[in-house]
This record gives sequence, structure tokens and C-alpha cells, in this order.
Amino acid sequence: MNRISKNRVAVCIFTLPALLVFTVVVIYPISTTFYRSFFKWDGIGEAEFIFIKNFKNLLQDDIFYTSLKNGLVFAAVLVVLQIGIGTILALAVSDNSLKGKKVLRTAYFIPVVLSITVVCQLWLQMYDADNGLINKIFEKIGISYRQNWLTDKSTAILAIAVVNAWQYMGYHFTLLYAAIKSIPEHFYEAARIDGATRIKAHLHITLPLILETYKFCLTFAVAGGLNAYANMLIMTNGGPGTDTYTLTFMSFRAAFQTNEFGYGCAVAVVLVIESLLATLVINRLVARERITY
Amino acid sequence: MERIFTKILGIVLILVMVLSMVACGSSTTPDSVSTSTLAAATTTDSTTTPVEQPVTLKIYAQYSDEDTKAPYDYAIAAMKKDMPNVTLELDILAQDDNAKLKTYAATGNLPDVFQSGGDIINTLKASNNILMLDDQAPTADFKSKMQPSAMNTLMNSDGHIWAYPYAGNELVLLYYNKDLFTQFGVKVPTTVDELIQAAKTFNSKNITPLSIFSKEKWVGVSLFDCLATRMEPTGIRKLDTNQGKASDEAFTWAAQKFAELAKAGLFQKGATNTNNDQAESLFLTGKAAMFLNGQWEIATATEKMGDKVDWMAFPGKDAANYEEAKNNFSGGGGPGGYSVSPNSKNKDMAVKVAAYISFKYAECKYTTRGTPIVATKVNAPMVEAFPPMMEKLAKVIPDIKSFGSFDWNLTNAKFKVAIEDATQKLVTGGYTADEFVKDMDKAIVNANAE
Repeated sequence: MNRISKNRVAVCIFTLPALLVFTVVVIYPISTTFYRSFFKWDGIGEAEFIFIKNFKNLLQDDIFYTSLKNGLVFAAVLVVLQIGIGTILALAVSDNSLKGKKVLRTAYFIPVVLSITVVCQLWLQMYDADNGLINKIFEKIGISYRQNWLTDKSTAILAIAVVNAWQYMGYHFTLLYAAIKSIPEHFYEAARIDGATRIKAHLHITLPLILETYKFCLTFAVAGGLNAYANMLIMTNGGPGTDTYTLTFMSFRAAFQTNEFGYGCAVAVVLVIESLLATLVINRLVARERITY
Repeated sequence: MERIFTKILGIVLILVMVLSMVACGSSTTPDSVSTSTLAAATTTDSTTTPVEQPVTLKIYAQYSDEDTKAPYDYAIAAMKKDMPNVTLELDILAQDDNAKLKTYAATGNLPDVFQSGGDIINTLKASNNILMLDDQAPTADFKSKMQPSAMNTLMNSDGHIWAYPYAGNELVLLYYNKDLFTQFGVKVPTTVDELIQAAKTFNSKNITPLSIFSKEKWVGVSLFDCLATRMEPTGIRKLDTNQGKASDEAFTWAAQKFAELAKAGLFQKGATNTNNDQAESLFLTGKAAMFLNGQWEIATATEKMGDKVDWMAFPGKDAANYEEAKNNFSGGGGPGGYSVSPNSKNKDMAVKVAAYISFKYAECKYTTRGTPIVATKVNAPMVEAFPPMMEKLAKVIPDIKSFGSFDWNLTNAKFKVAIEDATQKLVTGGYTADEFVKDMDKAIVNANAE
């Protein structure tokens, strides 16, 4: 192994295919998007260089702020529900005394493998204002909280985010469960001998030791929230009006509906920068020291 | 040694990036697209294919429901007899605001023949991706077959022909269930206030007053246009062409009444999430008293509801306005139909096919689909007689004073998207007329800014 790493030519040859693929599928599209964001272009015809005018216009566009806010709300819901509930379930299932763990593990992961269209259709039925399961439950328990979940601008984005959180919660559960199971059992035995309760043991042993996994989950949840598109496309098509737009949706609208491809690229650039910033902050704040045991 | 290696690795990385960019970069950069397509469009020596030789053409057309499948199948069956050497490869049109068509144009992959209309003609025209048909061989004959009242569907505002139309000036109609109105003692409304009253009565009887498929944003736009045309005969066309503002009296009134109707519970819950099938089903099964759709709904409504269904003139501001404006319709036609790619390898044949198919579409719609509202004159024998609702409409058509516009005939893409969003918000009842007017005035300024 050491001999190979010292052989510079071998390193270059072995990394070249990966570099090529990475450049073609990541670096090239991002750099062309940056380049095109400086043009007034309808996506087909002649382009006019306008430097940063697209970005200036963006700052005066109400839809930009709606989209930005929706992306952040979406990301926050994913973080709270996917990682929060994922953690609780992972801790519960990792308990040796719990019966039926196999069934639970499979059940939690099933939504992840379902098609997003199927999941959205399922939840569309559940959110139905007249006959949907959720409103029926409120009705049965005597709470007058019937809502037009997807047509009310105050609930629509939250309702859509819950669907995504529900579907991919199992993914985060699996990662966290695997991390918890990798913690040596004798750590907990020592804690028990010292008189620590189960909750204390999790707070002082489990959670600090799986911070690396949390970093990964957090990055996925935040980036997924900021980039959200498919759920709203299927469930509300961005509506009512533009109330459930995200930056991805806004970029599509500009590029393909209003013939402002350059403007759409500018929105995409902001999205890329936003996601990069979020990733940097997460990397800076979470699990700064690598824990080995 | 370490530094030299780092430098070499750096150079390799840069080379890889540059190489892959060059490899990925096609000639379709913003500037070069136009030059290449321009060259193709302006070239005069088009490749002509003798009629006898087998020709395969790609066609991009609607083929999703009975109303779009039937004319296509009819035209293809006729083509097999009249143009046996031509084979068409169908690429089904996506309901995606022409995103797919624009992508085809941007990548130089436009089908030989494609459906176009509204702002897409202007977009493709600006980039030389649509063939001007003025001097093409079949045009003179096609023009002679046009209905005089439908010439606006052939000639673009620039005075040129970019598509062979098949649809005439189609209309938005407000359908109603006569039995439900009689059963609950509701008068067929002639004013918007009576419509609000009717909505309240039907709601109290657990009947949806008006089912609307507002997941498709054009329906909300059409309802707004129906209201606006009570006071402004050209409706939203005036806003689209930047000749009016949303704060003008007619549009402010339309927004106010739209918001009032939504507040009064005119639409079913979750209307902005309801698709065509769901809304239509509510009406056809007697769960909704009214339904808003184009005149193409007549065939289905008659088939499912028989003589229980009729359409009404849209209610006016007051009784006098009702009489004055009852022949102002929302809808109308615009330039559109089958267009041809200037880059087609079989351009002449593609033009011939576009004209032929458009003509056959109109023939099918007229003789078998019960609609006389087509672009060209039809001499073929009738297969099915017009339903009573269409007979009634046919009597009104000669008296029509003006048309607003269908959403898809709007020519300013930015305005179109803005009014789609704003009217969909009005449907929810959580958006005021003042907000609508303010947002739309701003959108109109943006849509016309250079």
C-alpha cells in the first residue's frame, strides 16, 4: 500500500477516472451555471452579457424571499422530524430488551424505498379537506381544527415538509441505529456500575459518540430541505400561487416558464452558495474532533 | 519532490477540467445557438424529398385524452390513404409550459412538426427555431379553406403565419345542473351578487356550488377573464398587451368579485389541488351545481348528464350589465396549431404534413366531436349531430361581440405566469383584491421592462 502511494504516476492514473466523472457531472454544470447567470438569455436565442443585473433583480423579487423562507422552513422541519424522531426510534430499537426489533427496523425503512409519487398521492388523500384522514381524526376526537392543509398558505409548506420528513426519516434512523450499535457495550456497563440511568447513559455516552453521524444526517437533511422540489411539484405545483415555491422551483419557473434562463441560473447559483454555506457551518460546528474508540 | 508532485497533480487536475469542459461543451452556448440556427433558418436550398420516397417525420402533439387522441388518430388514418409514403413518429406533448419543446429547440433537436401557440411562437421565432409558413406551398390553399371568423388563429400579430391552426375561437362556458337548481329553488344567476347568493344556498344544502380544477392554473385565469369581460370586452388581453393596468376599474372590480365569490364558498375545499378529473366528476355526479370549462366539455357533459345540463351566460355586474355584456365571452383563439422546424431534413414534406393534419383535426372535431368551433371550413358528412348545448351556442356565436383570452394564448410569458399565480391565490379566499391589484400592477411593469 505504501509503495503504491509513493508511486505518483499510479496515484494519478487511479484518481483520473473519478476526477473525470466528478468534473463532468459536478464541476462543469456548476461552472456553466455560474457563467450563464451573468447573461440575459431565454435559453434558446442570443445571450446578452449583463454582469450582476440578474442578482440585483433577485434581491427585488418577492418570490425570491418566499422561496428562501420556504427552503429554510423545509430544512428546519426535516432536521427536527427526521433527526429528532430518528434518534428516539434508533435509541428505542437499540435497546436489547425490546421485542420485535427486526419488524420495527424494516417498518421504519419501508417509506424510504417507496416512490415519491406514491407517497405524495397517499398524503394528498390524507390531507383532503373533506374526507382526509387527518381532518377526520380531529373530527373524531372533537377538536375543531379542520384545515385546508395544502391550500392554506400558512400550513401548505409545513404539510409538504412533513411528507418528506416521514418518507426519509427511516434513512436517518438506519444511520443513527448503525452508529449506536457500533458503540462498545462495556461503556454502558461502566456507566451502569457508576449508577447512571439509561437516559443519562445515552446523554453522556451515546449522543457524544455519534456526533460524526449527526453531522452527516444534518448535512443531508439541510441540503435536502433547501433543494426540495419533487414533493411540492406533485402535491401543490408550487401553489397556491407561489406560496410553496423553493429556490429550485423558482429556478425552474424562470428558466422554463418566463423564458429567463440567465435569471434561473442566478437563482441556482444562490442555491448552490446557500447549500455550501450550510455545509460549511455544519462542518465547523458539529463533531469538530474525530472520536475513535 | 513533494512540491513537484503537488504541482504535477494540480496541472493534471486543471487539464482534466479543461478537457472535460471542451468535451461537454457543444456548439449550443448562448451565442452560438443563435448563429447556428440562424444559418439553418435562412438557408434557402432546403432538401426536398420526392413524394414517392418513404419519409419518416417526428411529430410533437397532444395525445392524452379522448379530445386529443381522436383527432390525431383520425388524421393518421386519413394520412395512410392520402400520403402512404409518410410515417409519423409521435412524441406526446408534455403539459409542462413548453419546457420540453424549449429544451428540444435549445439542443437543436426540434421535431419536424410540432404543436405551438401563444408565447412559444414568439420565443421560437426570436431564435429562428420556427419556420415562417407565409410562402410555403400549402399555405395559399390552407388560407382559402379558413373560416373568415377564425383568421386571427392563422395570422400572428406580426402579420406572418407560423402555424396552421385547427381550433377556432374556443370559449369558456359556465355549465350548470338544471335539476339541482330546480330542486333547491335557486334562480339561474344573472348578476354576480345572485351567484354569491346561489353559492350560499348550495353550501347550506351540502352541494358544491362550482367545482373548479384550479390545480391547472388556466381555469382561475379564465374565471377572472369571465368577470373582467363584463366591463372590459377584451378582458385580460388588454393587460397582456400592456394596454391596461390591474388597477383599472374593470379589473379591480373583477378581483373584488372573485375574492367575494371565494369567501362565499363558491369553490370546493382544496380547489387549488383539484385536477380536471376530480372537478369534472363532482359536477357529472351531481355533487356540484356548476362547472367552469371550455366548450369542449359539451360532448362529455351531454353524454353523462343528458338534458340535465346546460350552460349559462356569465352573470353581470347588474341586470343592465348582464344584457349588455352577455355576448362578451372569455376565451377566443390565437395564432397556433401545427408548426414546422426550419431545421427539418424533410422541410417541404413536414410543411405539407402540418397543413394536412391541421385540416383533418378540424374535420374530426367538427364531424365526430360535436364542435363547430374549428379554424377551417369542413365539407365532410357529419357523423354525430351537435348536442343541444352546442346548437344553442351555435346560435349565439354570430352575435358574439368580443373575446377575452385563454391563458395559453397570452403572448407575454412573464405576465402569463404572474396572472396564473395571482388568480390561483384568489381561489383560496386568503388573498384580497387589493393584494391582487398591487401584485399584478407590479408584475405588468416587470413583464414589460426591458
